[in-house]
Amino acid sequence: MMPGDSNETRLADIVAQCMGELLTELKASAQRLTGARPPPPAVEAIAAFCGFGNNELRGSFTLLGPSKLFARLHPLSPSVSPRDLTDWACELVNQSVGRFRNRMFAYGVRLAPSLPQSALAAQLFLSSSLQPNRTPIAFSIDGMVLEGWFDVEIQPGFRLAEKPSEEEAIVLNEGGMLIF
Amino acid sequence: MSKKTILIVDDSLTVRQQVDMTLKSAGYQTVDACDGKEGLEAVRAHAEIAMVLCDLNMPNMNGIEFLETIKGEAAGPPVPVVMLTTDGAPDLIARAKRAGAKGWIVKPFQPELLLAAVRRIAGDPG
Repeated sequence: MMPGDSNETRLADIVAQCMGELLTELKASAQRLTGARPPPPAVEAIAAFCGFGNNELRGSFTLLGPSKLFARLHPLSPSVSPRDLTDWACELVNQSVGRFRNRMFAYGVRLAPSLPQSALAAQLFLSSSLQPNRTPIAFSIDGMVLEGWFDVEIQPGFRLAEKPSEEEAIVLNEGGMLIF
Repeated sequence: MSKKTILIVDDSLTVRQQVDMTLKSAGYQTVDACDGKEGLEAVRAHAEIAMVLCDLNMPNMNGIEFLETIKGEAAGPPVPVVMLTTDGAPDLIARAKRAGAKGWIVKPFQPELLLAAVRRIAGDPG
């Protein structure tokens, strides 16, 4: 992130970082893709969606990729059914948004999540024409592309802090545990 | 090997399967539920449940509502609950603790830590 970047750009960068971390934890050899890409191949695909919001900003993160890619990332692969894959896509987008919400806490931003949803279809494409606030976040994994779309609407006056605050209470990180 | 029964409450089938495999590998028996409402029915129906692992963000009844309900219904000490969620926010953790949670684990979980929590909370020496 660079000083002066828009709120949207900086938020999308945080989401991309969260997505990259999650893929690393899933032991996927993932490379961030930038720039224009050809349309995705016409293969069976899954899209999963999770929203988030508060009084100042609201948005969503969508993941789209070939079913085979979600099977590749599934923790219990290879014995997975289409139902398993759509459920896993939901969990993947849920954990991406959860990680984003945890990172935002350090910026003093509390976000409530929605319940994730997913869909499987013979062909799925994301259109950027309707929503100019969408930022593509894509990764190449084993020759397949996992498309992410970050979509956010920000109320006037909101400004994301330049860096995380050390004064905010510490979030329990992913994989962490507390016993009371 | 333990024969204690652990209830897994999560709307994600994948997470339920992951937790189930982890617990069964250590000899536990499991019951699962896909939301807080179904989890509540399982607690009422299975007196043998020694502990609950419960997600936070679920349809019908979320994890905090589940915690508060079983605490309110219990004649004695309620069945211990450890939250298993993507959230790590301290205010939510504090709220769950006030509602009676015995622990908090942030997904994706590490199997050995999950088992350590279960062994400690369920009272199994492992």
